[in-house]
Amino acid sequence: MLNKHLLERVLLRTMASGADFAEIFAERSHSSAINYIDSKIESIYDNTISGVGIRAFLGVRTVYASTTDISEDGLMLCAASVAEAIGDSSVKSNILLCERIFPNIHPVRIVPSAALTGFAAELLRAGCVAAAEYDKRIIQVQGSLTSKDRNILIANSEGLYTTDRSVRTRIVISAIASDGTENQSGSTSPGRLMGLEFFEEHIPEELGRMAAAQAITNLEADYCRAGRMPVAIESGFGGVIFHEACGHSLEATSVAIGASQMAGKLGQKIANKKVTAVDDGTIPNAWGSINIDDEGNPACRNVLIEDGVLKSYMIDRLGSRRMGLPVTGNSRRQNYSYEPTSRMTNTFILNGPDKNSDIIESIEFGLYAKEMGGGSVNPLTGAFNFSVREGYMIRGGKICEAVRGASLIGTGSQILMDIDMVGQNLACGQGMCGSRSGTIPTDVGQPLIRVSSITVGGR
Amino acid sequence: MIDFEKLKDALVKAATAAGIEQYEIYFKTARDAMAEALGDEISGFSFGVSGGICFRCIFGGRMGYASTELMTTDEMRELVLRAVENAKHIESDDEVFIYPGSSEYGKKTAQPVEFPDAALLKNNALALQQSTYAKSKSVTDGTQSRVFAYETETRIFNSKGLSLANTAGMTGGFVRAVVKVDGESADDYDYALGCGLDRLLPLSERAVAGARAKIGAVEIESGKYDVIIDGRQMLNLLAAFSTVFSGKSARLGLSLLAGKEGSEVAAPCITICDDPFDPNCPMQTTFDAEGVAVYTKNVVEKGVLKTLLYDLSNAKKAGTRSTGNASKGSYADAVDISPLCLSIKPGACSLEELFQIALGGLYVTEIKGLHAGANYATGDFSVECAGFLVEDGQRGRPVKSFTIAGNFYGLLKSITHVGSKVEYGIPSGYTVFASPAVLARNISTAGK
Repeated sequence: MLNKHLLERVLLRTMASGADFAEIFAERSHSSAINYIDSKIESIYDNTISGVGIRAFLGVRTVYASTTDISEDGLMLCAASVAEAIGDSSVKSNILLCERIFPNIHPVRIVPSAALTGFAAELLRAGCVAAAEYDKRIIQVQGSLTSKDRNILIANSEGLYTTDRSVRTRIVISAIASDGTENQSGSTSPGRLMGLEFFEEHIPEELGRMAAAQAITNLEADYCRAGRMPVAIESGFGGVIFHEACGHSLEATSVAIGASQMAGKLGQKIANKKVTAVDDGTIPNAWGSINIDDEGNPACRNVLIEDGVLKSYMIDRLGSRRMGLPVTGNSRRQNYSYEPTSRMTNTFILNGPDKNSDIIESIEFGLYAKEMGGGSVNPLTGAFNFSVREGYMIRGGKICEAVRGASLIGTGSQILMDIDMVGQNLACGQGMCGSRSGTIPTDVGQPLIRVSSITVGGR
Repeated sequence: MIDFEKLKDALVKAATAAGIEQYEIYFKTARDAMAEALGDEISGFSFGVSGGICFRCIFGGRMGYASTELMTTDEMRELVLRAVENAKHIESDDEVFIYPGSSEYGKKTAQPVEFPDAALLKNNALALQQSTYAKSKSVTDGTQSRVFAYETETRIFNSKGLSLANTAGMTGGFVRAVVKVDGESADDYDYALGCGLDRLLPLSERAVAGARAKIGAVEIESGKYDVIIDGRQMLNLLAAFSTVFSGKSARLGLSLLAGKEGSEVAAPCITICDDPFDPNCPMQTTFDAEGVAVYTKNVVEKGVLKTLLYDLSNAKKAGTRSTGNASKGSYADAVDISPLCLSIKPGACSLEELFQIALGGLYVTEIKGLHAGANYATGDFSVECAGFLVEDGQRGRPVKSFTIAGNFYGLLKSITHVGSKVEYGIPSGYTVFASPAVLARNISTAGK
């Protein structure tokens, strides 16, 4: 992508005013999207992004600059601007880049390309048609099939020179059901760190029918009753509760500056002893996996909480400097225009000791959240919120009528203690996580869990 | 420097060689800078220069798109081929247009913003941070101040002879104050457009006071409450549901406003206006993403839906004219529909008068989770909130961890009073939302 000797000169220029670390992140990525609505392929577009981000540290001060001008003049100008902003001394140093090749643990067989656009469009259409034909009350189906082929190069003043390529594919199908007076929706959105071979395991028609079934369920459901109650949260995307309630509070982004409820709690009991949670970027072809992070560190499996005790944070290079702890392979960014920071990869609660049937039967009156939507958190206070995309009331230990319009709110420190039953059907769901380094793909996951008491928003 | 003329010439040449007669080149560049203060020093400074080009063309009656940031003449040839290839697989029979231009374009009211140098951004971020710490001894770690600048240039050139250019920019500041009182932490933030200290320093007082006011917050019983929604929260709700005003959403069954023009869709006290030349909005343009002249229109007037928002294609389908609301989130996106400056027009009530009218209930000053808890296709929302009790016609004790739930269409009808002070959000592209506080009746609320 860029000549090694040019990179050495750019790094030297970046450090010329006294920076103690410099890094270049170059990216050329190609993304494409096929969109379906109203029974037709409505639009197809693709985009190439190409640019460089240059970062310098002086202690815990950082300067970051990005540019689409990847000519030598453009890069040297960008480096000079970073140097001017980070310090005012005059320093000469030597940098000799040494290539490091990390193993590719996420093999790809069928790379999406223009030649396969027709094939991909047929896959999307099959899923959307299946959703439309599921029930005559399905009035609209929207779908998209997106792919991204990301090529990055990282070089830094410690001599690292490495490259990586990752290919991601995702399909999203949303169905709208109507009874003539109101609409309700359902959706499904699986994705993987792989090419179009993704569809060998994920049958588009089944995905379409899942989205439509959820929309019909919600159309027939009454509004959820508001109040505090026990909640059973299903596996898969239900793991968003850990992602929001705890995961973000374990990122160095907030921990290192004292803006997290979890700061200073390493070794302390922060969750019910049934809770063991990990962040694992090494799972082959998982949506949130990586070969290397966006600082060039290899992907890791980090145990965050073990038997309820906080074992680790997720730490990037800047966080490492601030906290005096090693990096954990969690530095990520949307693209070259974002300064990287500590982020999650695939984060989930491991299987626990409880039978799933026991969890449902233990609830006299509560909510079964079969499918969760997204959420957000304030890491300082731990206050979080999630939407419930598909829910049912539990009465007398049995899953009963469907309810809609529910949300769950609480605080992370409290809910971690209130997860008092952990089931045995660990599964993950795919999401896009937004934070200060942009929007990145992450997996969330868990087995079925019971939260003994939580505020359910409804009507 | 990106040489637009050179790239344009390469694209025109490639399009001609490919036999493309109708095409459009959409070109966008931007630069941004931000200084951030943490603790008692500048912790970070970032700046960026970006630019992208989108080529779209009509091939076989379909509109194909392709875009890139790689600004080489070879890439321009590739771009044309990719756009044609993409068009081949499109099935939509919507009529598509390359627009020759409007007869007249409006005049912007926003003053040009000078892009500040790095020293000014850093100095003012540090001054804001120091000012925030000086407000109270309870201000603690995690407190952050940011001052930013952004400017962008958009150009549209097409085969019908249209050639338009627009530049816009803004500066602004943000502070997040973290306070700790008797072991309890709370935070609040404030923002303002402009990067002068006269605009920035008042943020410290409001953020610190806001954070301190949250200490000792209580939980409330679940039930139905009259709710005053603060202007900054109401504008976020309006933004979350703005898609319901899109003519495309209505056509596709994704908005319940389809066919409701002339009907009552909100309380009589509600007027919602899309005014691209609102002087409080710095990111102004005279043309939309298809080159159509933008203009001011009431979307809802005294509760009655006057018009939906349209681009060229959806207007044609609806038998009407474009409202100048074609939009592109980034240069790479396909044309969609968005408002420019969509605001709920102010009423007559001060905030204190709203408290007195409500007598009791809740004052919502924070809404979170709208990205997940608001469904524009159904209108339903169920979102996390924080705020204050309204007690005896005044702002009372702070309240935490509750939700409000309802339906946006219903909410618009349940508003009985509108505040007099309009709050503006931070623009995203050329779109910004604004609203005064509103008093809505009988809202479902979940607490303890």
